Amino acid sequence: MDPSHLIPFPDPIPVPWVWVEFLLLLTFVIHLLFMNTMIGTGIIAFVYHIRRPRAISPLTEDISKMIPYAIAFTVNMGVAPLLFLQVLYGHFIYVSSVLMAVYWISIIVLLILAYYSAYIYDFRYEALGSFRLFFIGLSVAIFLLIGFFITNNMTLMIKPEAWGAYFGPDHGRILNLSDPTLWPRYLHFMTASVALGGLFIAMMPRLKRPRDLKDRDDRITLGMRWFSYATLAQIAIGLWFLMALPPHLKMRFMGGDFFYSGVFVVGIAGAVVSLIFGFKQRVVPAAISVIGTIILMVIIRDLVRWGYLNRYFTPSSLKLIHQYSPFILFVCSLVIVLVVIGYMLRLASRIGKGV
Amino acid sequence: MNYPIWHIPSVGGGLLIAIISILHVYVAHFAIGGGLFLVITEMKGYRENSQDIIDYTKRHAKFFLLLTMVFGSITGVGIWFIISLVHPSATSILIHNFVFGWATEWVFFVGEIVSLFIYFYTFDRMDRKNHLLIGWLYFIFAWLSLFIINGIVTFMLTPGDWLLTGDFWDGFFNPTFWPSLFFRTSLALMLAGLFGFLTSTAIKERGLRETMIRYCARWLILPMLILPLMAYWYLSWISGLPQGMIKGRSPELIPFVKTFIWLMPILFLGGIVMAIRMPSAIKRSLAFLLLIGGLLYMGSFEWIREASRRPYIIYDYMYSNAVLKSQMDEINEKGFLRKAKWVKTKIIDHENFMAVGEEIFNLQCLSCHTVGGFVNDILPRTAKFAHFGMDAMLNGLGKINDYMPPFMGTVKEREAVASYIVNGLHKKPDMKRLFPPLKQLALEIPPFDENTDKYILLAWSDLGIRFISDNDSYFNISPPGNTIFAQLIKRGETPQLVTEGIDLSYKVETGFERPSRHVDFWKFVNVLFGRSIENDVGLNGNAPAGKMTFKKDFNSFEAAAIPIVPYRDDQLYNPYPLVTIEARDKESGKIIVSTMCVAPISTEMGCKNCHGGRWRFKDMGGLDAETAMDLLGVHDRMSKTQLLESAKAGSPKRCQSCHSDQIYNVQGKPELLNLSASMHGFHANYMTGRGADACEACHPVSSTGFTRGFRGIHARMGLTCVTCHGTLEDHALSLLLKEYKDGKEGAMKLMRHLKPRLAPKKEEIQPRSPWVNEPDCLTCHIEFRPPLNNASGFNRWTKNKKDLYRLRSDEMGILCTACHGSTHALYPAVNPYGKNRDNLQPDQYQKMPYPLGSNKNCKVCHTIDMADEMHHPNSLRMVRTMKE
Repeated sequence: MDPSHLIPFPDPIPVPWVWVEFLLLLTFVIHLLFMNTMIGTGIIAFVYHIRRPRAISPLTEDISKMIPYAIAFTVNMGVAPLLFLQVLYGHFIYVSSVLMAVYWISIIVLLILAYYSAYIYDFRYEALGSFRLFFIGLSVAIFLLIGFFITNNMTLMIKPEAWGAYFGPDHGRILNLSDPTLWPRYLHFMTASVALGGLFIAMMPRLKRPRDLKDRDDRITLGMRWFSYATLAQIAIGLWFLMALPPHLKMRFMGGDFFYSGVFVVGIAGAVVSLIFGFKQRVVPAAISVIGTIILMVIIRDLVRWGYLNRYFTPSSLKLIHQYSPFILFVCSLVIVLVVIGYMLRLASRIGKGV
Repeated sequence: MNYPIWHIPSVGGGLLIAIISILHVYVAHFAIGGGLFLVITEMKGYRENSQDIIDYTKRHAKFFLLLTMVFGSITGVGIWFIISLVHPSATSILIHNFVFGWATEWVFFVGEIVSLFIYFYTFDRMDRKNHLLIGWLYFIFAWLSLFIINGIVTFMLTPGDWLLTGDFWDGFFNPTFWPSLFFRTSLALMLAGLFGFLTSTAIKERGLRETMIRYCARWLILPMLILPLMAYWYLSWISGLPQGMIKGRSPELIPFVKTFIWLMPILFLGGIVMAIRMPSAIKRSLAFLLLIGGLLYMGSFEWIREASRRPYIIYDYMYSNAVLKSQMDEINEKGFLRKAKWVKTKIIDHENFMAVGEEIFNLQCLSCHTVGGFVNDILPRTAKFAHFGMDAMLNGLGKINDYMPPFMGTVKEREAVASYIVNGLHKKPDMKRLFPPLKQLALEIPPFDENTDKYILLAWSDLGIRFISDNDSYFNISPPGNTIFAQLIKRGETPQLVTEGIDLSYKVETGFERPSRHVDFWKFVNVLFGRSIENDVGLNGNAPAGKMTFKKDFNSFEAAAIPIVPYRDDQLYNPYPLVTIEARDKESGKIIVSTMCVAPISTEMGCKNCHGGRWRFKDMGGLDAETAMDLLGVHDRMSKTQLLESAKAGSPKRCQSCHSDQIYNVQGKPELLNLSASMHGFHANYMTGRGADACEACHPVSSTGFTRGFRGIHARMGLTCVTCHGTLEDHALSLLLKEYKDGKEGAMKLMRHLKPRLAPKKEEIQPRSPWVNEPDCLTCHIEFRPPLNNASGFNRWTKNKKDLYRLRSDEMGILCTACHGSTHALYPAVNPYGKNRDNLQPDQYQKMPYPLGSNKNCKVCHTIDMADEMHHPNSLRMVRTMKE
């Protein structure tokens, strides 16, 4: 069966696709930062509790307080890119979601469990004793599982050749396990989380007032160590991911296409720079370079999607119906709400503790 | 069909959507009203300088945060996930049309999260004024989220001008935007009180507890004072079909509407009861009960809103099964398989028939139906059907039952789906149509000697096909009975029609004299007809044997409504029992001539083909209880009657007690359609595109049935029901148009989806009254001559009753039927229970089965050959259609 016959007809979009693409990339980067911090700090806290099951530490206590925020913003900042993704690629993502529907909808139930588990870890941090390990472990395990499902969906949606499985017996339970990019891609995201989790820990002394923090240097050392080794592993996994790409796509990144290769080289350079700052324990330069790297990697990720899909579809082929007023409404409300948020944060910071 | 489906037939995506959505909206509305509750309660604490109230507010804020931020927000994402899995096409439309609406809502969501976190984590630490400001900002963000989402949710039910313009704002500020916004805002405030009970009943200190419970009760009760008005306002802006659905047209909605209406006063009273002093344990339990009540209230409201837009998912734009309304015609023409993307097979053949049926079923039906699940389970709904009935049901979908989408596709595709449901899901064996060998009954033709006999007695049934319903404990559509006419002719060169000085008597065949042994008619005749009659006596007072009375209007003798059924005492099924008619000289009492004729009476009513059940009598005829109950149930459901209940209580109804019927001269209810128009009009919607098989599905005329009632010469010439009456659609339209013309609005409901087939448009069909304006023989037999090829009797009706073949006579007063036989059994007929059973008098008087006097046999009455065509033109000639 020719997979192109299966691709649904898309619906028209109200503004030129580049706007949507821009918003997609922008919000996705923010989502990644929250998500990485959430999972990374969770993993680091989990490892801490494995090593010292009954012990408490200011660091893990801080992490316990931070994780519910991180979940809230990870989810919130995940909503926006998923929305913009559906606008440009709805006819792909809806299909892949239906193919793996059971896993996809289970994300909701799992997320609620993980969220409450994180709140228990937060609100009952001291009282929990050795159960701290269980609750942070449950949250982290669920985050990792959800990440796996999302990676499945993101790879399945760009592979219409795999959609024929719909006509087999596994209704709603199709994972993209035969895709060679699945595991490196998944690990690439999760290892990035460990790195960012470490970086966040190293950043904590800057986010909190110094008097609140007695273990300032320990945090920077610990955090940057996690960051550096994870980033090192990231480079290896990244190469594995590259090698797993279909040949025509791989070649584009390796000199076959100037733009693809250019972004890729700069991205690698960013990773190397981050690594150097990491090992030197230079927190802020490491943070800046890694955020830059993440932006490049998000662009590369989009190029990969283009590369997979361009024989079937490009967003520029979407029918445009030119309705700008809702877009203006969105931009205005965004500006107003951001101003209000800034004001609220200022009020909050005045009482001595930021959120 | 643009998208694949998530195949979970036993659960149903709809149920998953309902569960996630209802839980979400319950908490999400609390997240709005509860936000206001927090600031107002905090203000109350400050105003009354009560640290206890402030502490309570803080505890409530924690509960609020944990419930709304975690469960509320994740289930919100959950709705989006689940609708994109179950209805990807509709989700795609919502996303693409309203992308920046969603994006704006997301912006407010960000504001909500930030403000709620700050509100909760800075409680008691921020200065009061600023803290209250944060609380107000939270409430504003939350309400603005509702404002945005409200536009998109209401759009699905009332898309308004968007249907024409496709404009964001037309869809957003649609007709129900404002009523819904205010309704939901009131609901949100009410939920603040309802959830407030949970935390206030947990307060340990009694005085504060009672104060706060009463405070929460006010939050519950005050919005409830205006909620009914809001609901009414909302309903009044939902126009047309969806409003009708809510008001009772959709059987699925009735329990939800009842729940919604009843819970309003219950919750209100609950709020009042909570304000009364009583033990805290009771109040706490009551608080939980009220919370569940609130969930049911909210759930029933959402269900009503969702289900009232059926058969659409986006009203008037996209059907529940994701097919666009605009695609319908193309799909019906080219076929569903060709237009659908996610099907394995594109071509239907004998091998893949069932598999294709399953694929189409999955794509068209599973969006609303489950297979063995809780919601709209297809299995009990289709259990009664064999293939024909299932196919008819699919054929009629979305027409009179307009809460379902029509079936989309070709006839073959429809049949494949019917096969899948009947043979696949229900695993019923393929029903081969039975070709029963019918018993050939002995026939003794009464003697006649053309040289010595002086009289000719002609007798016939007024209707050549007559069927009765024989399950009178449920209903009656026609009483057991057959009317026999007779004319006596004194032979001679100038024959005379004898009407005086003689007595005519009749007697039904042995074994048929006790019909009350076989049917319940006499048990229920009092209830059905309002008078009691003795067993085995007909409605006109005639017994199985008796005297005929002279009817001046027709110059003939009549035995009206002789009680007779097709069941012989020895359990033989015979829809053609014989009646012997004898003429006696009044003075001497001596028999001067006798003859016989059949009294057609059948119970082969095909109701069971669609309504389930089986034949009541030996697999050959009769209406069994299951069939009767089903058809009454359907009538009750669709016409809001209580016929089944009434029948079960021992009070069955006669169809004519509401629906007028010319053949029985019954008026019925003047606003309702006559029986014929309603029966044909309703059923035509389920049997379109057919020929005589549609007629055969109900009437006893199938050539493979037990009655084979259409047995006259026309049948042998290859004519069918359709030749004279038109197809079922045409036939129904002719009846409905008359009713519509007479001001009966109900006709339009049945006509709306019927397309004429023998006339180019509806307007060209001649309206007609049943039993009065019928096919006219002379339409085809112009001047009594042979018809032209392809002549059709359709659409040129007899002007009045007198012109009917069965009541018409020549200038001599001889009825057409006297010489040509009963309607549908015109000489030479072939009776399935014995070749010449219908041709008794031609055989008796002429030794041939042709009309009296045919083949220039004028002698049969005139005793000599005649040269003039006195009876009608073209009568003096040889029969064209000699029978072997």
